[in-house]
Amino acid sequence: MSDSSQGIGGLTFDKTKRARPQELNVFLALVLITVTFEVLGWLLMGDSFLFNTRDNVEGLFNTARLNIIILQVAIIGIIALGVTQVIITGGIDLSSGSIVGATAMIAMSFAQVALVNGNPNPKAIFGPWAMDLPVIVPIVVAIGCGVLAGAVNGMLIAYTKIPPFIATLGMMVTARGVSKWWSKGNPISFPTDSYAAIGKGMTPVFIFIGLAVLFYLIMKYTKYGKHCYAIGSNEEAARMSGIRVENHKILVYTIAGILSALAAVVLSSKNLTAQAGMGVMYELDAIAMAVIGGVSLSGGRGSIIGTVIGALIFGVIISGFTFLRLDAYYQEMVKGAIIVGAVVLDQWRQRRARAGR
Amino acid sequence: MNKTLIATSFALLLGTTAMAENVGVSMARFDDNFLTVLRNGMVATAEGMDGVILQVEDAQDDVAKQLDQINNCIASGVDAIIVYAVDTSATQAMSDAAAAANVPLVYVNREPVNVETLPDNQAFVASNEVDSGTLETMEVCRLLAEAGKADAQIYVMMGQLSNQAAVQRTADIHDVMASGNCAVTLNIIDEQTANWSRDEAQNLMTNWLSTGAPFDAVIANNDEMALGAIQAMKAAGIGMDTVIVGGVDATQDALAAMQAGDLDATVFQDAAGQGTGSLNAALALAKGEAVDQKVYIPFLLVTPDNIGDFINRN
Repeated sequence: MSDSSQGIGGLTFDKTKRARPQELNVFLALVLITVTFEVLGWLLMGDSFLFNTRDNVEGLFNTARLNIIILQVAIIGIIALGVTQVIITGGIDLSSGSIVGATAMIAMSFAQVALVNGNPNPKAIFGPWAMDLPVIVPIVVAIGCGVLAGAVNGMLIAYTKIPPFIATLGMMVTARGVSKWWSKGNPISFPTDSYAAIGKGMTPVFIFIGLAVLFYLIMKYTKYGKHCYAIGSNEEAARMSGIRVENHKILVYTIAGILSALAAVVLSSKNLTAQAGMGVMYELDAIAMAVIGGVSLSGGRGSIIGTVIGALIFGVIISGFTFLRLDAYYQEMVKGAIIVGAVVLDQWRQRRARAGR
Repeated sequence: MNKTLIATSFALLLGTTAMAENVGVSMARFDDNFLTVLRNGMVATAEGMDGVILQVEDAQDDVAKQLDQINNCIASGVDAIIVYAVDTSATQAMSDAAAAANVPLVYVNREPVNVETLPDNQAFVASNEVDSGTLETMEVCRLLAEAGKADAQIYVMMGQLSNQAAVQRTADIHDVMASGNCAVTLNIIDEQTANWSRDEAQNLMTNWLSTGAPFDAVIANNDEMALGAIQAMKAAGIGMDTVIVGGVDATQDALAAMQAGDLDATVFQDAAGQGTGSLNAALALAKGEAVDQKVYIPFLLVTPDNIGDFINRN
């Protein structure tokens, strides 16, 4: 046997045939899309997409645009971090958007101010006891909602063995019902200053990046992360090797629920209001971010970094379209095409990689 | 003895069914601020009446679901039906179903496509949508002229593109511009949808701000989007006294923003009044009384000067 032999059956490790890391491809796609907008910008608008062309603003880059590119995807990005973990274990979570709606309503009820412009809060949900509470109260309430919803998802999937699609579909409908029932459809507004600070300015981005780094480390270096990949690659093999699959699934869905709940806090704080219709379709955007970022829907493959880049691709596309003043009708059509195109390209690349081996 | 008892109880039974008016209501959605105020206005009015029972259904923005709900109402023998249409072009089938069963039907807020051909026992209660966008745009014009502008650069935020109010209010802006009634010349820099949503409006406005183009006003199809634009501008450090922002709906949040000096104009649509009006029309039709087929509840312009009249109304 030669020195390079790594496995059984004569399989040899050949460095030249090693596939490029998935994230690198996604990153190249991000660069390609950004360059496309830059070129189109100069051709069609006579202006730069990324660089500063204004005399009254300092700096090389158009920082306002760079900020909004990531700010507008930060909240759904937080959800996508949880969705990524769920998909890596071979599951799916359709309930995130509805959990956002329900949690936003419930948490905001505990974050209201007593007086608005000197008048009593016209949107007050509870009596005076729930006014001007410290900011930790709504945050704890929100996390409680996320734990509850996520744990119910996880237990349904782990113990009744119903497919994750169905279990989380049920939660999606139920939680949306809760969000409408909570205040009978009325929006809840006028949060305390400390609650409003959570979503102010670029804070949502810092929260998103902070959570992304945290879960990147967890997925890469802890037993929890390795078990996620193991279960997603081959659930039976994972069970045989002693991983407690049921408990792990409950934990994964609970974490996804908590991340949706945190997204709800940031969203309602950023908008200074909670509405029953908040978060509709967020689950699909979050899944799309993960999938564009190279997370495989069949489980076992993907990473937090990929999802973050996937989210950035989303942000670049939205800002690019507004920059080009493309009509809203075409925006959705192109967005859909990009989602499908990203996955087709990825599949094609994978098949080629497999054939090459 | 027995027979009289049975007869009296029958008479009583008939009496109660004749007194209690069952009204089926199908709302386009439950999770929208304006629709909720309208629905609550309707429910409050019904609770204040003797023997009016409302059965309110949520059509979840689904045309097919709404038609099913109407057919279910007819099947369960309601005395009248009120519809907040999901889609105004899908009302013919609803009118036909109600007419076939001879059940009175009242459309509220959204003008049905067949409004000119409604049968005698069907009606339409709303505010005239042309007024809202016109009042809003004219007030923005007035404020811009007051600020000494001759030309003004504006951004337009549209609601859902599939929605008649969004289309109409946007058309109103263009009509005012074309009519020559505007005291200043408006130039639209860009016109985009933010789907009625505050969050999407914040993102859209921030994207617009990143282009650095100077602008004087933002005209939004509703208050939620106007508030999103305001929050984005404040986050970017733009003084709200340098920009005119207009919305429609006069929601509580919008009035608070107006009191804080951020929002300059909004238009009050009497949601609760429309709810009450539609219920009254439905009850009258159920009793066989004649009703105007188009009942208009007026739109009113809200500015910092008359804001006191509108607090706690929507």
